[in-house]
Amino acid sequence: MTWQRAIHTGRTAARARPSGWLITGALIGLLAGLAASSPAEARTALVVEAALDRDVFEPVLAAFAAENPQLDVDYRDRSTLTVDQRARDRDDPPDVVISSAMPWQMALSNEGLAQPLDVPEAAEWPAWAKWRDEVFGFTFEPIVMAYRLELASHMPPPETHRDLLHLFTDYRELLAGRLTTYSPEESGVGYLLAQQDARYTPRAWDLFTAMDAADVQPERTTRQMLEGLSDGRYWLGYNLLGSYAMVWAQTHPDIIVQVPNDYSLVLMRMAFVHRDAPHPSAAKRFVAFLLSQRGQHIMAGGTPLFSVRDDVIGPYTAQRLRDQVGDHLYPIPINATLLAFVDPLRRQAFLDRWRRERQASHAR
Amino acid sequence: MTPGAISLKRRLALWLVVIVAGLGTLLLIEAYTSARKAANRALDGQLEAASLTIAESLQWPDGVPTLEMPASALQILATPWQERVFYWLRADNGRIITRNADLPITAMMAREARADTVYRDADLDGVPIRLAGREVNSAGWDTQEPVQLWVGHTRQGRDVLAGELFEKSATRFAAMVMITAVLVTIAMFTALAPLKQLRRALRARRADDIRPLHLGVPREMQELVDTLNRLFSDQRNHREMLLRFIADASHQLKTPLAGLQSTSELALASEDPAAWRRALATVHESAGRTSRLAGQMLSLTRLDHLGPAHERHPLALDRLLREVVTDWAEREASHAHDLGLDIQTPRPVWVEGEAWALAELLHNWIDNACRYTPPGSTITLTLASVDNAVRLSIEDDGPGVPADVIARLTRPFERGQRQDTEGSGLGLAIADSIAHRHGTHITVAACQPHGLRLSLDLARGAPPSETSA
Repeated sequence: MTWQRAIHTGRTAARARPSGWLITGALIGLLAGLAASSPAEARTALVVEAALDRDVFEPVLAAFAAENPQLDVDYRDRSTLTVDQRARDRDDPPDVVISSAMPWQMALSNEGLAQPLDVPEAAEWPAWAKWRDEVFGFTFEPIVMAYRLELASHMPPPETHRDLLHLFTDYRELLAGRLTTYSPEESGVGYLLAQQDARYTPRAWDLFTAMDAADVQPERTTRQMLEGLSDGRYWLGYNLLGSYAMVWAQTHPDIIVQVPNDYSLVLMRMAFVHRDAPHPSAAKRFVAFLLSQRGQHIMAGGTPLFSVRDDVIGPYTAQRLRDQVGDHLYPIPINATLLAFVDPLRRQAFLDRWRRERQASHAR
Repeated sequence: MTPGAISLKRRLALWLVVIVAGLGTLLLIEAYTSARKAANRALDGQLEAASLTIAESLQWPDGVPTLEMPASALQILATPWQERVFYWLRADNGRIITRNADLPITAMMAREARADTVYRDADLDGVPIRLAGREVNSAGWDTQEPVQLWVGHTRQGRDVLAGELFEKSATRFAAMVMITAVLVTIAMFTALAPLKQLRRALRARRADDIRPLHLGVPREMQELVDTLNRLFSDQRNHREMLLRFIADASHQLKTPLAGLQSTSELALASEDPAAWRRALATVHESAGRTSRLAGQMLSLTRLDHLGPAHERHPLALDRLLREVVTDWAEREASHAHDLGLDIQTPRPVWVEGEAWALAELLHNWIDNACRYTPPGSTITLTLASVDNAVRLSIEDDGPGVPADVIARLTRPFERGQRQDTEGSGLGLAIADSIAHRHGTHITVAACQPHGLRLSLDLARGAPPSETSA
């Protein structure tokens, strides 16, 4: 399935960039100052720490605010790293934690920092998209590749991972420096996707090596990759969040989004109510809203986050995606195996190999 | 049934409740502990599997242990109940290789894990967890550090599993109790059915129905029925005796009354005052006899109906005997007889008894002896010691009675086949009643070569205390 849309280049927004840490937010809020300047109110101010772009999520927030006028949602759009740090802040815990860094969300739950959600929406939520009734995957975001339209005039446009490997090998000189992907070193999502790729097939390392040989330029966020593509710096991006890329392609027609035809990872944004939430009932209402038919309906229609629920109809639903893409969607499983990815030793071993391959390919 | 008595059913039910409650508590405790044990056993296997998987992934590049955490191990640890999972690996030199929680591993636990896989319940920040620890060693070219490997998870699945197992046991037990209750109820009704049958049979009887019961009852209850039947039989005998007494009494009264009637009719038909006078004399004599007969019947009835609540007092039997014999010696009725007294015991002889009753007995004896022996007979009253008792007896050398009559002699209106006397036939019956009231009986025996001896034994009593005397 391919999205082709008109493009308006040159739109670049200011972003927060937490530094000095490996886990950098994959999805950075456009307006970093917004969260910091949220006014303290006498009314219940629900603190939501989220690694989810506010402008993407705004329709959902607006609908929740309309339904709950007595609640002020203090939505803080952060990097995945900051969200993880904030969730561990014992002095000032947030109410709700949302992040796309699935292993880290799982680890927070495993450390007992989440509390179970005992509402009907949670009980009815599909078992494959939740853990311990504490953490819920409430979006269904395919991982895609994106390329500039002009790439197609030089080489056959890639549709599968195998195509990519061939392109990287056959057109190495042409593509050199024009490839981008998520940095596994600097982004939690990038690390997760690379790990998951390597888990599904050992040939992933061939792909990584070929990418390195073509001098891939790792980026920290999907948005940076999309901007690089629109700038013309990059011709081809691998492992982008489909949710952002599809929206981007709607306004940038020279960017083509391709859902891989062999297998496509699906990332799920995960939300939970913090164990020490200052406003637990409001927090539960918020998460329940994310899982509710109404919340999911807005995600399916007003955002490109894709609804998980089968009973929701809209342009962006998991069901519709399956119908269009076929049965090769592989949601990253929400279970204890994710916890292995955050083991420091394993992470270190993976990144060491990543760097080794990279150096080796540069040496060639 | 007394008001405080508990019904058999209630008593059985109470026992059942006590047994079931006691046994049930024990069983449920046992079920609870074994359910927990079974759950632990089942899930300790998961711990071991995860531990093994991690151990397999341990490597010692350059002799230093390192690990690429296998994802499957954590999924095994998590179990289908989605437990929180923990791991903790430490090299022998105390360096933590990797861990995701600061597990409370003590030096003691580490030492025990050295020998074999150990399982421990522990507590992590207030959450109960289950841990499995082992030490991993590997052969290699270089000297390699052993690794302490501990894995653990929360207890949710164990609690759920133990709860399910316990619930099953409890349900089985509850079903057992219900079935037992039903069976016991049935058994109770079956076992008590003969009792009910007996009750119905007795209730259905008319008040004067004293025929023996014939019921098909269990052996245990047959004794009760037999006892009842014995009681019925006694009643029957007693009633027969009573009826015979009434019939005899009527007969005895009828004869003199008929005589009175015919004498008075004859006198009325005569104009001779001398005949009237003779008739009057006859009437007088007959009325006196009849009156004495009625008096004796009255005293016999009274004796039978006095009941057991009479009073006995210490009594000097020898004195009483002497008084009665002296009284009789002065009477006209005994003048033709040789009345003797032979007291062979040291005096005084104390017995517990009713003076009037014993006096009546002696009067009857002597009266009888005088009446049924020909003039000139010798009548001797004897008081002798027999073991702890005293034996009071009267003996005559009269014609005696046939052997087959001796046994019947104490019945009312039995005259020993002698119709030639004016006796009422009640004297010995009254004496026998008195003997019964004193807890003894009259023995009748024939004397050699002829004559009759009556005797009775009385227990010796204590002399009266000074105060009551």
